[in-house]
Amino acid sequence: MVGLSIGEQHFVKGGIAQDLRTDGRKRLTYRPIYVETGVIPQANGSARVKIGGTDVIASVKAEIGRPSSLQPDKGKVAVFIDCSPTAEPTFGGRGGEELSSELALALQRCLLGGKSGAGAGINLSSLLIKEGKVCWDLYIDGLVISSDGNLLDALGAAIKAALTNTAIPKVNVSAEVADDEQPEIDISDEEYLQFDTSSVPVIVTLTKVGMHYIVDATAEEESQMSSAVSISVNRVGHICGLTKRGGCGLDPSVILDMISVAKHVTETLMSKLDSEISAAEACEDES
Amino acid sequence: MSAKPGAATPTYSPKVVGRSRLPIFKDSDLDWSRPDGRGFPQCRPALLQTGAVSSASGSAYAEFGNTKVIVSVFGPRESKKAMTYSDVGRLNCNVSYTTFASPTLGQGTDHKEFSSMLHKALEGVIMMETFPKTTVDVFALVLESGGSDLSVVISCASLALADAGIMMYDLITAVSVSCIGKNLMIDPVTEEEGCEDGSFMMTCMPSRYEVTQLTVTGEWTTPNINEAMQLCLDACSKLGEIMRDCLKQAASASDE
Repeated sequence: MVGLSIGEQHFVKGGIAQDLRTDGRKRLTYRPIYVETGVIPQANGSARVKIGGTDVIASVKAEIGRPSSLQPDKGKVAVFIDCSPTAEPTFGGRGGEELSSELALALQRCLLGGKSGAGAGINLSSLLIKEGKVCWDLYIDGLVISSDGNLLDALGAAIKAALTNTAIPKVNVSAEVADDEQPEIDISDEEYLQFDTSSVPVIVTLTKVGMHYIVDATAEEESQMSSAVSISVNRVGHICGLTKRGGCGLDPSVILDMISVAKHVTETLMSKLDSEISAAEACEDES
Repeated sequence: MSAKPGAATPTYSPKVVGRSRLPIFKDSDLDWSRPDGRGFPQCRPALLQTGAVSSASGSAYAEFGNTKVIVSVFGPRESKKAMTYSDVGRLNCNVSYTTFASPTLGQGTDHKEFSSMLHKALEGVIMMETFPKTTVDVFALVLESGGSDLSVVISCASLALADAGIMMYDLITAVSVSCIGKNLMIDPVTEEEGCEDGSFMMTCMPSRYEVTQLTVTGEWTTPNINEAMQLCLDACSKLGEIMRDCLKQAASASDE
């Protein structure tokens, strides 16, 4: 990304202060969101989300695995993010590794909830096939194709759409076997179970530039930020995860204010995303 | 040159000896009683020492209950591999666990992210422009993991940086709060972290009353977040006082 001159920096900051950003949006307005599901036929579920210039793809693959010994009644979910060099030349080789692991950690935090499983977006118990022996392992992969700011929100939306699109095959556990043997399983080719994504949260990133917060920052605006707080809110209005990034310190009252702004923005974003996802699913069904 | 500012507090109570596994229960109407007999808003007494590693520019050792961490700071020293010129300094953080740190051999996947989280916590508070072209290395070693590991590592790292004379805007202290059912408890131990419904870790600069890093997992309502934030801010300012006392004692001891 080309650096900004001093004049351009003042322009960006001044515009935000006056509630008129460089692309004409208000501070709390999102860019148009475009969702397409079923883009990867090999995966159990996939989605592509474009928010302005940011383009990401999320795919969900389910494989048979063994539950961990610490939590034998739950399936496992792993989130990996890959920032492709097509987005930024600096992402090539090991450059994008730090950003990828930061994004993956934030997404994992939002989707999986606390250690006991409370507040999880994905119900891990629904991934169980046979306690202690067989479960589904979900591998959620995110790929950043083009980056124009607000990667975390786009990835969160893509994962939500991909999970809505995910169909996990039905499994029949064949015979009753002794405790120390692996049971035989029969994976059906026809019957599928749709994933329940009503509790998957959306992520809203509030970027503080000067004295004001903006939602859905472009790469230019992100370069001028003092700090950013990413808040994940679920349908009920509870906070499912919060990550503060960026070096500058924030007053605690500012953070609480950001949380209430995020909750307010989430309502519109959640409904918009739901309608886009169902439109995309309908499109996919027709074709 | 030991400094035990926490020894005079009446809050210390000896650990309840009990090898039985605490049951993992999900009833939210059962009140959780803490394994070491603390109240919910009570932190573990802190033992902080500087100068633990004599070969480092600065170092600190912290003991919070069973969590024992040693941090050493090297620098500012020349950036390796002739990196491109930068007029601000660089910070390199690494957090590692000893193999005997936890009861089960080997550590889970958590500690890979701790290095980047420590980096994020420290980058906002160190004045990087005071050491251009050079790097400051912060190495943290967790000797025993007894809960709230990252919070202890961050506080100890800030003490080590102060001991090394790296310029900072303020000391930073970190505290975490666990939510089990409807109870919020500060400074959780490993058993409490294992069955928590949500965790809230905050790093703040006590004198400036600013939050530099905040990480929340699990499901939280806004009143809970408010309460957790208040608990953390209180604890952080008290911990900040303890850290300052420790540094003053160390400075006066070296003057003698």
